[in-house]
Amino acid sequence: MKIYVLKRVLSLVPILFIVSIMIFMIIHVTPGDPATVMLGDTATTEQVEALRNELGLNIPIYQQYINWITGILHGDLGYSFFMRQSVTMAIISHLGPTVSLAIMAQIMAIIIGIPVGIIAANRKGSLTDQSIMGLSLLGISIPSFLLALLLILLFGVKLQWLPVAGYKALSEGMWVHLKYLILPIIALGSMQVALIARMTRNSMLEVLNMDYIKTARSKGIKERNIVYKHALRNAFLPILTIVGQSFAVLVAGAAVVETVFNIPGIGQLIINSIERRDFAVIQGIVLFVALVYVLINLVVDLLYGVIDPRVRLNHK
Amino acid sequence: MVDQPLLRIKELRTHFHTERGRVTAVDGITLHVEEREILGVVGESGCGKSVTSQSILRLFDEKRTVKYEGEIHFKSKNLLKISNANMQKIRGNDIAMIFQDPLSSLNPVYTIGYQITESIMLHQKLQKKKAYEKAVEMLRLTGIPAPEKRVNDYPHELSGGMRQRAMIAMALACQPRLLIADEPTTALDVTIQAQILDLINRLNQELNMSVIFITHDLGVIAEICTRVVVMYLGQIVEEADVEKLFSNPLHPYTKGLMKSIPQIDGDRSQALHVIEGTVPSLHDVPNGCRFASRCPYASDLCRAKMPELKIVKTGQKVRCWHYEEILEKEEVDV
Repeated sequence: MKIYVLKRVLSLVPILFIVSIMIFMIIHVTPGDPATVMLGDTATTEQVEALRNELGLNIPIYQQYINWITGILHGDLGYSFFMRQSVTMAIISHLGPTVSLAIMAQIMAIIIGIPVGIIAANRKGSLTDQSIMGLSLLGISIPSFLLALLLILLFGVKLQWLPVAGYKALSEGMWVHLKYLILPIIALGSMQVALIARMTRNSMLEVLNMDYIKTARSKGIKERNIVYKHALRNAFLPILTIVGQSFAVLVAGAAVVETVFNIPGIGQLIINSIERRDFAVIQGIVLFVALVYVLINLVVDLLYGVIDPRVRLNHK
Repeated sequence: MVDQPLLRIKELRTHFHTERGRVTAVDGITLHVEEREILGVVGESGCGKSVTSQSILRLFDEKRTVKYEGEIHFKSKNLLKISNANMQKIRGNDIAMIFQDPLSSLNPVYTIGYQITESIMLHQKLQKKKAYEKAVEMLRLTGIPAPEKRVNDYPHELSGGMRQRAMIAMALACQPRLLIADEPTTALDVTIQAQILDLINRLNQELNMSVIFITHDLGVIAEICTRVVVMYLGQIVEEADVEKLFSNPLHPYTKGLMKSIPQIDGDRSQALHVIEGTVPSLHDVPNGCRFASRCPYASDLCRAKMPELKIVKTGQKVRCWHYEEILEKEEVDV
């Protein structure tokens, strides 16, 4: 197991290297000179040249990369001229809402998706199963911005149970915090609920057909224990994969949902930065998200090893 | 009433609901298993031998796919009539089962120790520690070396033969009265196969337990069974003591099976005997004798009317219209 962990961790190095190069190249593959774009049409040649120097665009490209990556390794993601603060600070100040939103959407997806998927698998072909599958198809198909708008219309405008938009930090109290987040969480998480439910159902159905389930039944194990002990643990690997990958979807979705609900999170920050061509912030956020994504998938990989002893063996 | 058989199956029918309609995989099986007996059930793939064995433990999904008819009497209970909860008390405790492929039949994410103790703790209400001791003891009984280490192994860490031994240890953990072995040696190579057969034979005697041994391999039958049931397309076509079956097979299908066994001193220039044709589909079961389409002796009577399973002079049972004529003809030929 130790070797397995070590191997997984080491495999991150080349991945992060490639990711960093791609992110670095954002600034160079975008059409037009970054300095000109940032300063706008009215800028003089001198101003542009000065900014190019300040941004370090006049030195050889590999030197630029080394400078950039050295800074990152020291925790310095660069400086945003628009926001007049370091990128690191900009990200940290926008992190709270997004983390709250993503974690709660993910929790909702797991605590609803998995049990619902199990129920559907257990009653394959029944009305319950068909309703669950139908709803989940709807959940996958409906775009989050549309769902967000529908939710606002129903719960915000018509029923007036929940605020239509905005954000209150956790420091203002749990209930206030949640009240503003419930609709965004539902808008963001429904697709994950649906995905996880479907994956759980398929995976469980596959496992329930395995010979060892029949063995367990022939031993007189109660049906509930067959499902939750013998089947679920085997069915869990594909579910876990979906959970890990859904993080990427959540971040992308957060950009949309935060915009609709006017939540000052990472998603809104990156949309604004793209509009402003604030390359340092864009790079910083993309790198940060990539890093979190990679780390979450590392955790998923390690959990594979915990759940399935064969995974440990294969990597000895 | 003194010598009640341990298990008595009467007119068992197992129907499956499939997308193409109802299929009767087991069609009127009547058989019994005596105390301490090893009963062989032989037949080719799809003849219903596995379905019969799994019907005894009611392992199929009764809510959706399967319907049983008939009677299965075990310890003065009709297993087809008792509740699911009572059935669970019998499974693994009074009647246990081992399967063909020990790798796919063991749960890959639990140690074999866990899987053995599971039924011990469930049926015998032993504490975890005691149950593990028992598991080690069972592994030792089945001839696994260093059982106190092996008990913590996962199935993939054992060899094929060891896995089947672990399966057997698991099945026997609660000292069942009846062991159903569904092709337990088919997935193993020949030397391991012999060891497993020896083991089942030995445990049958040591533990006073009856065995239903399901296989398609007549060689295996000859080696371990006392009595044999030959199945074809969901029915019993012949039943006999093992010596009689080999010395004097009555049903044309049994004869065909016997001839299909390769002989080591046989003439190699001659092709191996095969039974012509294939087993008819269960969706399209013939009206008359089910073997008629492949039988060299088939007459119009065979194709029109299904023969009953009859007891004949030798004490065998056979389902054939013409077995006497065939027997006479053969004697003339010799």
